[in-house]
Amino acid sequence: MRFVRSISEVFGYSPFEDLKRHAGLCAVAVGLLQKQFEAYRMGNFKEVERLRDEIDEIENRADDIKEEIRGKVTRSLLLPVDRHDLLNFLDVQDGIINYCEHVGHMLTFRRMRIGREIWEGFSILLSKIMETINEYEDLIDHISRLVMSSFTRREVEEALKHVREVERLEHECDLIQIGLLNLLFNSNMNPVDVNLAVTWVVHLGEIANYTARSADRFRIMILGKG
Amino acid sequence: MDLLIPLIILAGLYMAWNIGANDAANSMATSYGSGALTLKQVIAIGVMLEFMGASLFGQRVTYTIAKGIVPIELIDPNLIVVGALASLLSAGFWITIATYYRLPISTSHSIVGAVLGFGIAAVYQGYLSISDIRWDVMVRIVLSWIISPLFGGFLAFVIFTLIKLVLFEKFDVMSVEKVFRFLQIGTACYVAFAHGSNDVANAVGPLAAALGCIGKEAPIWILLLGGLGISIGFATWGYRVIEMVGRRITELTPTRGFSAEFSTATTVLIASYLGMPISTTHTLVGSVIGVGLAGGLASINLNIIKRILASWLLTLPISAALSIALYIMIIELI
Repeated sequence: MRFVRSISEVFGYSPFEDLKRHAGLCAVAVGLLQKQFEAYRMGNFKEVERLRDEIDEIENRADDIKEEIRGKVTRSLLLPVDRHDLLNFLDVQDGIINYCEHVGHMLTFRRMRIGREIWEGFSILLSKIMETINEYEDLIDHISRLVMSSFTRREVEEALKHVREVERLEHECDLIQIGLLNLLFNSNMNPVDVNLAVTWVVHLGEIANYTARSADRFRIMILGKG
Repeated sequence: MDLLIPLIILAGLYMAWNIGANDAANSMATSYGSGALTLKQVIAIGVMLEFMGASLFGQRVTYTIAKGIVPIELIDPNLIVVGALASLLSAGFWITIATYYRLPISTSHSIVGAVLGFGIAAVYQGYLSISDIRWDVMVRIVLSWIISPLFGGFLAFVIFTLIKLVLFEKFDVMSVEKVFRFLQIGTACYVAFAHGSNDVANAVGPLAAALGCIGKEAPIWILLLGGLGISIGFATWGYRVIEMVGRRITELTPTRGFSAEFSTATTVLIASYLGMPISTTHTLVGSVIGVGLAGGLASINLNIIKRILASWLLTLPISAALSIALYIMIIELI
C-alpha cells in the first residue's frame, strides 16, 4: 500500500518460531529412525531405504530453516537473548538431526542377522532417545512463553526443569548403550557386523548427546539475559 | 493577497489530513494491534481525542511555528502570507513524496524546515538580518528532536521493566495482559490527545502567522480547523493505515503497547507544553525500542534508526530549499 508511513518497520525478524520448527523436525527424524530400525528388524529393506530418503529430506528442510535463521539474525537485530548464544544453540540443535541422517544411512550399508536380545536392546535405546527428544521438544516449546513473559524468573525456572529432565534421560540412554555394547562385543556375530552395529549404537548415542548438549545451550541462552 | 488566504487554508487542511491519515493512525495502531480496541472504537477515540488535543492544548506549538522561529512582526504582512503558503505547500509536497517512498519522515521536521526556509528567503530579500532568525529557538527545537525519542525510550524501558518485575513475576502473564487491555483504552486516548496537541501546529501554525494573530494565543477557530482536518484524515485514510500497521505489530501485546503508548504520549505532551514541535512517530519508535531493550520484544530491527536519521537529515534542507523556491516563485507570479 502506497502513501503509508508505518512504524511496523521497527519490528525485525523473530527467529523463535523457526527454532521451534527446527526442533520439531529433529523429533520427526528420530521417530522415522525408530520406524527404520523396526523395518530392518522385519527384513523390509525397501522400507529401510525409503525411510533413509525421508530422513534425508527432513534433514534438508531443517538445513533450510537453519540457513534462514543464520542469514536473518544479523547484528542489526535487537533480540531478548544474546545473538551468539542463539546461533550456538542452533548449531548444536542441528547436530541432532545430522546424526539422525548418519544413522539412517548406516542402516542401508549391510544386511545382517542380529539376535533377538540385541534387537530388544536397540528398541529400548530408541524408545529412550524418543523420550529424550520429546522432553527436549517440550523444552523448546517454552521459548514462546519465555518471550511472552520477557524471561521472568518463574518461566525460566519452568524451562530449566525440562533441561534437567533431558539430562537425566540422556544419562539413561548412556546406560542402555553400555549394556548394548557389552552384548555386541560378546556376541558370536561376524566381526564386520559387530563393527557396524557398534557404530549404530555410538551414533545413536550421539543423537542423545547432542540433544542434551543442545538443551544445555538453550539453558545458557535463556540464562544469559536474566 | 487576500486570495492567498483560502489557498493557505486548503494547504493547511491538506497537512492536517496527512497528519491524521498517517501519524495519528500510526500512534494509535498499537491499541488496535493488541486487540484492545476494535477498528471502529479506535476511529471514534482518535477522531474525538485528536480534535480535543488540537483545540485545547495546541496553542503553544502553534505559536512556535507561527512566530517562534521567524520574527514575523518585522516582516511585511503580505510577505508573511506568501511565506506561509510557500511553507505549507513545500512541507505538504515533501511529505507526500517521502510517504510515497516510505521514508520515516516527520511532518514536524518538514514544517520547521519549511518555515526556516521562508525566514532565510526573507533574509535574502533584505527584510531580516540573519541574526533576526531565532536561532536559539531552532537549537532548542533540534535538541527536542534528539531528546524526545531517547526520553520516550527511557520511559518505556522503565515502565516495561516495572511491569515485568512487579507483575509478571507475581501473576500469570496472560491475566496481566488481560488487565492491560483495558488500560490500553486509556493510553489510546492519551496518545491521540497528545498527538493532536503537538501536530496540529504543523498544519495551522503558518495559517496563524498569515492571519497576523497577535499575542501568544492563536484564535481557537484556527485550532478547531486543524483539529477537524486531522480528524477527517484519520477517519478517511487513517483506518486503512491502522489496519495495515495493526496487523503487523501484533508483537506489541497490551503490556508492551501500554508502555510504548504511555511513554510516547507523556513525552509528546511535555513537548507540547514546552512549545516544541516534535515527531510523534519518532518518539513512538524510540519507545518501542525502549520496550525491546527491556527484553520485551522478540526482535527489533535497529536499521530503522539509520533510516530515521537519514530522513531527518534530508528533511530539514529539502523542505527549507523547497520553501525558498516556492516563495520566490509566488512572489514572481504576483
